[in-house]
Amino acid sequence: MGLRNFFDRIEPQFTKGGRYERLFPVYEMVESFLYTPKTVTTAAPHARSYVDMKRIMTYVVIATIPAILMGLYNTGLQVNTAFEALGPSGWRAAVIDFFGIGFNAANPAANMLHGLLYFLPIYITTLVVGGVWEVLFATVRRHEVNEGFLVTSMLYALILPPNVPLWQVALGISFGVVIGKEVFGGTGKNFLNPALTGRAFLYFAYPAQMSGETIWTPVDGFSGATALAVSAADGFQNLSAYGITWMDAFVGTVQGSIGETSTIAITIGLAFLLITKIANWRLVVGCLAGMIAFSTLLNLIGSDTNPMFAMPWYWHLVVGGYAFGLAFMVTEPVSASHTNLGRYIYGALIGFMVVMIRVVNPAFPEGMMLAILFGNVFAPLIDYFVVQANIRRRAKRNV
Amino acid sequence: MAQTYRKLLVDPLVDNNPITVQVLGICSALAVTSSLKVAMVMTIAVILVTAFSSFFISILRNHIPNSIRIIVQMVIIASLVILVEQVLKAFAYEISKTLSVFVGLIITNCIVMGRAEAFAMSNPPVASFIDGVGNGVGYGLLLLLVGFIRELFGAGSLFGLTILETVNNGGWYVPNGMLLLPPSAFFVIGLLIWAFRTWKPDQAEAREYKIQIAEGH
Amino acid sequence: MSDAHSNKGPVRRFFDLPKDSVPKTLFVAVAVCLVAAMIVSAAAVALRPIQEINKAREKQINILQVAGLYENGTDVATAFTVFEPRVLELATGSFTDRFDAATFDDRAAADDPATSVALADDPAGIGRQSQFVTVYLLRDQTGAIDKVILPIHGYGLWSTLYGFIAVEENGNDIFGLQFYSHAETPGLGGEVDNPRWKALWSGKKLTDAEGVLQITVAKSAPPAGAEFHVDALAGATLTSAGIDNLVRFWMGETGYAPFLANLKAGDL
Repeated sequence: MGLRNFFDRIEPQFTKGGRYERLFPVYEMVESFLYTPKTVTTAAPHARSYVDMKRIMTYVVIATIPAILMGLYNTGLQVNTAFEALGPSGWRAAVIDFFGIGFNAANPAANMLHGLLYFLPIYITTLVVGGVWEVLFATVRRHEVNEGFLVTSMLYALILPPNVPLWQVALGISFGVVIGKEVFGGTGKNFLNPALTGRAFLYFAYPAQMSGETIWTPVDGFSGATALAVSAADGFQNLSAYGITWMDAFVGTVQGSIGETSTIAITIGLAFLLITKIANWRLVVGCLAGMIAFSTLLNLIGSDTNPMFAMPWYWHLVVGGYAFGLAFMVTEPVSASHTNLGRYIYGALIGFMVVMIRVVNPAFPEGMMLAILFGNVFAPLIDYFVVQANIRRRAKRNV
Repeated sequence: MAQTYRKLLVDPLVDNNPITVQVLGICSALAVTSSLKVAMVMTIAVILVTAFSSFFISILRNHIPNSIRIIVQMVIIASLVILVEQVLKAFAYEISKTLSVFVGLIITNCIVMGRAEAFAMSNPPVASFIDGVGNGVGYGLLLLLVGFIRELFGAGSLFGLTILETVNNGGWYVPNGMLLLPPSAFFVIGLLIWAFRTWKPDQAEAREYKIQIAEGH
Repeated sequence: MSDAHSNKGPVRRFFDLPKDSVPKTLFVAVAVCLVAAMIVSAAAVALRPIQEINKAREKQINILQVAGLYENGTDVATAFTVFEPRVLELATGSFTDRFDAATFDDRAAADDPATSVALADDPAGIGRQSQFVTVYLLRDQTGAIDKVILPIHGYGLWSTLYGFIAVEENGNDIFGLQFYSHAETPGLGGEVDNPRWKALWSGKKLTDAEGVLQITVAKSAPPAGAEFHVDALAGATLTSAGIDNLVRFWMGETGYAPFLANLKAGDL
């Protein structure tokens, strides 16, 4: 155990009175990433559980794996398909040529590799830039670097379009970590989802790179709209004219952000989170119910001018970021409601808002990001009213 | 006496800045800071209005009845604001169009009313005038700072002159569109307040709660 | 009243009243209001002529710009005299003398039931359309019409865009297009103000050889050909669609088509 010895040897330098006392969070981050912490709680009360913060965060990262794999495959698939028509371009093509793998869209391995060449730069940028902010705040505020950032960075990288410039990735995660989390006191005190905050920043700051038809498949001269954009313009009934069937959207071979397209992969991840009880099922039920109820209501109302009114709930489920947001962001425990009744209301509010924004708002085709941030803001208020109602009910009982 | 005047003028610039310390006048700071030129005009307008309204209110302070003092202050402030608005419409039409209702809303700017009520009602005219100028300038400094950041990074220009050539005009700079939207001023002002309070820790309010750190570790 | 006060005049005695006494309160209230009202109305009256000039000047600058006649430092009032404002009846496409072009108010006319109609088919999203509009004619040295400047407006994404379109004497070639009032998203729809985009309009044609309206704002050129196509604004689908709708509406049969036909035929 040379490594363990090494850590034990250098630890005194970082603890109180040591030469690098201020850098303790950095030491702690590396050490606890590799080893189970040896510290134990000494002050009462004690609650014993096999689930600690680190395990929760690890499980969420594990749950994203199917979505990551499908995302890599789909990104590569879209690019390779476009290459067949337009010819290879860009530095990634040179890398792939160098290894002699080729651009065959029918070869899943080639697709995966090509997708990886898009995903990795984004993910590494996120980790490095976001990590620097985390360590900076941890050092100045003398708390430990939190594992939550691993989840934030993974989710953030997955909800970006493949073609996003890396400097924008860096700006977005900086905003997400600093404004979305650290100004409120860090992990556990943030009422907004940091990954979504960063994404929303990019969406409003650089809309030309965050929406439109040329960003989803990063090939020069290629343009392809997302299923949502097509539905908003032409109606979901005409999606087949663009070569998009419900099954395509469900499996995830359509235009979209890297990790958001495959509903089936995301569902696997969500099932894992529900079985391990990391995700609270009430949030999921609330969010599904809100979305299904409101979209069905709009189906019944109907509209001559707005084709989105007619979109049924099972389409809402598979297009855009709904599934991804439902699985990984609505269920995020810190920014969601904390009471059981509140969780239903919180979920339903998001389900309602996402349909509202998608259908009624002319400017934003996608509503999941804004709906969740909206829900985040309301979560404490929902909890407050739930708790107050409970207090009143019990007070009445005990008159 | 000169020392006091100096203090009245300088104090509101940083140490007692109406925006960063008292967090007043935020609403107009959101609306008029998307370009530096507009922020500049707004600054001048607010300086004039705070200075002269404080001055006139101070002259009348011994005769203003308590029961209607707010109304009298409002009448004086409103008249000055309308005066400024009319002059702008006549001599700076373009800018008055961008400022639109916000010149009129100086009437409701808490800084003007606040200085009248807190200072001018109990101090002599010259001191009140200087206090008004100081607070107007303190407000304006922040406005210009926010305007500088928003116009430079949001549109790539300063006072309408191109500094960073934007992509749409064939340059390299991708402007940050969010900075042109009013909510971004919240973030910019918030970050500035953060920076100010890190620089001068005594500006931070006392915590309303106390965090107890458990022993251990 | 005590003796000490009796040797002061009535004015002095009044000023010495406690400031919360009823007479003093009334006096201060009335006096402050009177003085303030006088100052404010004096300023308003004295400055109104300059303000009116500014308002007119702004519109004139826009018309000069769309006709390509404006440079920084141009004397607007003098330069504008080359234009001949006329009130046009849309339905017939000919000028009317029912109104004086110098005082005719287009926006008021659009609200007045006597001069406007509520649109059933309303692609531009303007609600009511005035039957009479002020257009500006630019004549060359020989006195023949060189360009016509036509006001247009319609709904984009967030706001109604107001602007002018300049059409050549053949009634078909666009010389320029410019919006002077809108509230579209800065950086996206707001790029309607970008000179590069405005320059795209120059030289485009409204109708094809058969007289069918073809001009369109779209992402890619229509089958009719590139001379009828203006590139949509990047990232501003709905503003572009709004401009497409409003230009096609105003250039269509309910808009200036009869007038442009007359212009083409030389019947003016």
